[in-house]
Amino acid sequence: MVFLSKIKYFFFFAIFCVLIFFPKGASVSGVTNLRIEILALCGNDVQESGEECDGVDLAGSSCVSKGYAGGSLLCNANCTFNTSSCTSGGGGGSGGGGGDAVITSVIFSGRAYPLSKVGILKDGQLVLTTIAGPDSNFNASLSGLSSGNYIFGVYGEDNQGRRSSLFTFPVFITRGAMTQVSGIFISPSIAVDKSVVERGEDIAIFGQSASNAEVTISVNSEEEFFVKTNADKEGIYLYNFDTSPLEMGKHSTKSKAALEGGVSSFSKTVNFAVGTETESDQAPTKISIKGDLNRDLKVNLIDFSIAAYWYKRSLSSDFKKIEAEKLNNDGKINIVDFSIMAFYWTG
Amino acid sequence: MRKIIVFTFILFFLFLARFTFAAETIFEIKNQTFRVGDIFEAGFFVNTEDEDINAIEGKIIFPEEIISLKEIRDGNSIINFWIDKPKNSNGEIMFSGIIPGGYSDKKGLVFSAVFQSLKEGQGIFGINNVKILKNDGEGTEANIKTSNPGFYILKQDQLFPSSIAPEEKDIEPPEPIELIMTSDPEIFNGKQFLVFSSQDKVSGIDHYEVCEGKKCVIAESPYLLENQNLSKEITVKAIDRKGNERVAILPRQKIEKWYERYLIFAIITILVIVIGYLISIILWRGGKK
Repeated sequence: MVFLSKIKYFFFFAIFCVLIFFPKGASVSGVTNLRIEILALCGNDVQESGEECDGVDLAGSSCVSKGYAGGSLLCNANCTFNTSSCTSGGGGGSGGGGGDAVITSVIFSGRAYPLSKVGILKDGQLVLTTIAGPDSNFNASLSGLSSGNYIFGVYGEDNQGRRSSLFTFPVFITRGAMTQVSGIFISPSIAVDKSVVERGEDIAIFGQSASNAEVTISVNSEEEFFVKTNADKEGIYLYNFDTSPLEMGKHSTKSKAALEGGVSSFSKTVNFAVGTETESDQAPTKISIKGDLNRDLKVNLIDFSIAAYWYKRSLSSDFKKIEAEKLNNDGKINIVDFSIMAFYWTG
Repeated sequence: MRKIIVFTFILFFLFLARFTFAAETIFEIKNQTFRVGDIFEAGFFVNTEDEDINAIEGKIIFPEEIISLKEIRDGNSIINFWIDKPKNSNGEIMFSGIIPGGYSDKKGLVFSAVFQSLKEGQGIFGINNVKILKNDGEGTEANIKTSNPGFYILKQDQLFPSSIAPEEKDIEPPEPIELIMTSDPEIFNGKQFLVFSSQDKVSGIDHYEVCEGKKCVIAESPYLLENQNLSKEITVKAIDRKGNERVAILPRQKIEKWYERYLIFAIITILVIVIGYLISIILWRGGKK
């Protein structure tokens, strides 16, 4: 009897551990890889990468090593050499140091898809695009920033023009410092070949991710299904999912990628239905985007401004139709509509 | 058996605590006691509790009879686009804005407000009608935990150190302006308008100015252009709360034809009339001789 009682407590203790620890482990995936560090900080008296000198730290340089006969080599406030006190043997010493060696900047690096376009948003504005290498890695730097809090967003665009979900993170930028944000792992792009699939038929779930990444696909039903597949060298992945175990009705799917200990966040969610007849999905680039009020396939400041125009006004009959299609169909513009727009934001 | 029931209840509440998402709003003042005449800053922060949020709106009520609002600072705000920029209206600070792509952190500054105490008494900051929306594409409201901090204002002669909020130094201009000229059939009857946005990380944007040619006005985005034939250069200025400016210029899209320049047209017309008149006089005199 005592043994039975102990078993009961052990059972509850096990449930307790699962409830407390499991969800936490699951919820942080995709964000754990991100690392934000200051690479160089001008003004801390330590010469670092990107600086010629810093205060008294001249990195072993002197007027002589700079080609002068003698004198004192100094360091400018912007961490460049100042040779104005150097003397030359013959005539004519030269003036101060060069331009801005260390400027307030941020360097982004991480994984996207092989040879894909990567876009970087600063406080919701698209400010930089770059192309990832054949190994899926990308590197980009942004300068001309002030000191303060920024919210950066990074997205990838696959070889078919499909965008990943926007990965955003806040960063505090320090004046005169070079800040590196590494370990960004852009979520896979995703699409399905059918908008409605006959129960029992396969639905192809595909997209692009980092080269040779392991892709986990989640299919949302009453019971959530997880399947795994591997992306090829070009980052392409495809999984033919058998819809037999799914109930009739609406479903959705999303994916995430893992490679060398790094895990991406989940991709966008793509919807499909299980029905009695199969219908092919339309071309992904032609899909209308929620929040895209001016139908330019982007959600940005223009759409925000159009919504701001109608905020607290009664909608025209034409705009009511757009609100119904692109926002939450409640016949008015309020904070909920702006939230929908913020979720689908492309910059 | 009773123990098991109690244990099950504890588990149930722990389960609820773990899974119920509640963002927290924090209205933070460094002290709770001030003297009459003190200037103090109060910051409005949000703790997202590891969830992604993308929109926030609300109202902060302060007792106008004992404190007055000196300044609102939104320079380092997590809000990227204000729908309603925080402003004072009879003791209420209303605000709403969005964070494109979402935000998740422990203590994100929405804005701060600088107050001056007017007379002794006690007061409370009311945080009302706050909505925080999840970044889920549907605008789902998050559960919110709020607290309404209180404070005391004492006579000047009482032994409390004076509390003065430090003056912000800002010598940096606002960030580069995103400026787009566009038209849309749904607003301004399809006429050309400007959209613009900038940020200032120190004191915050105070206002924008739009100049069409030499005519300048204080403006908000979206701004309907007066000169719809786009024949004038457009300048947009973002001015921060300390007066620093950032300028963006859109060159004129169309060159005016000479007859579109009414002044020149009027001068030429007058000259033609004068010259014609002179010629006619000369000819008339010549004919007389």
